[in-house]
Amino acid sequence: MNAPRLALGHGIGLRTKHFPEFLARRPAVDWVEAVTENFMAPGGRPIAVLEKVRREVPVVLHGVSLSIGSVDPIPERYLAELGRLVHRIEPALVSDHLCWGTHRGQYLHDLLPLPYTEEALAHVARRVEQVQERIGRPLLLENPSTYVSFRDSTMTEWEFLGELSRRSGCGILLDVNNVYVSARNFGYDPLAYLDGLPMDRVGYLHLAGHQDRGRYLLDTHDGAVPPPVWALYREVLHRLGPVPTLVEWDDRIPPLEEVVAESQRAASIEAQELEASPRRLAS
Amino acid sequence: MTLAETQALFRRAITSAEPLSAKRLETCFAGSDALPAAERVSLYAEMYLSRLTEALRVTYPNLSRLLGDGPFAALSRDYLRRYPSRHHDVGEVGRKLATFLRRYPDPERPDLADLAELEWARQEVFFAPPAAPKGAELLSGLSQEAFLRSGLALSPALRLLVLDHDATALWRRIENGEPADPPRSERSVVAVWRNGFEVFHGALAADEALALEGAARGLDLARICAAFAAREDPAEAAHAALASWFAEGWIVGLAAGALARRGRRKAPAQSERR
Repeated sequence: MNAPRLALGHGIGLRTKHFPEFLARRPAVDWVEAVTENFMAPGGRPIAVLEKVRREVPVVLHGVSLSIGSVDPIPERYLAELGRLVHRIEPALVSDHLCWGTHRGQYLHDLLPLPYTEEALAHVARRVEQVQERIGRPLLLENPSTYVSFRDSTMTEWEFLGELSRRSGCGILLDVNNVYVSARNFGYDPLAYLDGLPMDRVGYLHLAGHQDRGRYLLDTHDGAVPPPVWALYREVLHRLGPVPTLVEWDDRIPPLEEVVAESQRAASIEAQELEASPRRLAS
Repeated sequence: MTLAETQALFRRAITSAEPLSAKRLETCFAGSDALPAAERVSLYAEMYLSRLTEALRVTYPNLSRLLGDGPFAALSRDYLRRYPSRHHDVGEVGRKLATFLRRYPDPERPDLADLAELEWARQEVFFAPPAAPKGAELLSGLSQEAFLRSGLALSPALRLLVLDHDATALWRRIENGEPADPPRSERSVVAVWRNGFEVFHGALAADEALALEGAARGLDLARICAAFAAREDPAEAAHAALASWFAEGWIVGLAAGALARRGRRKAPAQSERR
């Protein structure tokens, strides 16, 4: 099972604050991404809005609670609800994060990093296969933004993610902001990350904002995409060609048109890069 | 260190009341001179508390306004130690807050638990499964005998709360940005429901509350309407109550009535009684 790279175009995250505008008119976006867990409840406005939006544009389901790296078994309740939502929405893609966030039944509601070891790799690969079998489609996993690493790690994050993708068939959701944040927090070159990752496994991209807290960067999704992330995005496009790209904005959310404008800026940058390097980008 | 040991230590470092020693953390985590391992791990601990406190604030907007930022954050911290999240939906983390507040009441504001119960019910009905409300014509084709023997299927987006304080008045004052009155002990039955995508709540008269509780328990209409027997015109009162239930979208169908007479089935989940 391998994740395809679809020609989705440029999208934005579907957020509660923007529901009225999404209901009133279709914003100028090619697709939207919905946080899976926010739409698992069988009733209420969120799922009604998502079903309406789904009739107009493709939807990608993006989870935050799968906890693919946890040593806890994946809860049957979660898999059942995920399966029901996938069946109901028929998303273009289904993604979550390379992380863990549950322990002994407790949800920490965070995207906690894994030690990049052979043990963790085998463990996560088995669980990816379990999820993919359950939902009948490939899963894409996103590189997290991280603030701490482990003494036991024997490989880099990009080596881990690349090998995981090869073993399990999962796709990669490459969060460009997270690459930048983690690279700054650990002092490595973000281009080394891009050069080491099997880019043919990348299904789509995330762009977002972060905060500079002096001694570290914090992944906050509370502002416009910063210039260094746009620069890294161009580097990704050089290596990858046209690729579905989504702008995330989760805190201090501005009016919808501002988020849409950020997505259109991504489309414009992609068009510029395509014009500059047509051979690579048209491939 | 195995993956299981790593995750157990990480969880402890994030959630424990007392921070782990830097020496202990450095057996597992790597840092740098600029940002040592213990400080890096503490970022996750801070984010854990702030994220879940924010989730509680979203569920309990008026409780958090009443308490203010600092006290609400302290309440969240204490609550999360007693009731950590057990659900993949972060919105579920506050499910036990009213229980917690009843167990550890604030002596100056014993009505906090009732306010929390009201706000939780408002969230719960918002996400309840959909069910198409029926109009009063549902009953119009029934013979008098069939009418009296029928029960009512209530909307899954309707809750009945039995509260010890006037939480609806408190909720309204906070919602309007007015100062809260002192707690007022007053037993009340409050209906909380969704109509379309809007959530409403309101206190019920004692006999109407009894009637609705009966409907939720599966009683037939003869017994439901008997709740109004003390009114000057019981039939008119029962008719008015039923008409308003239809108008609010509380009734989604007919059910086999007289369940209480058979006495074998449990009350349906709509009835939330302490």
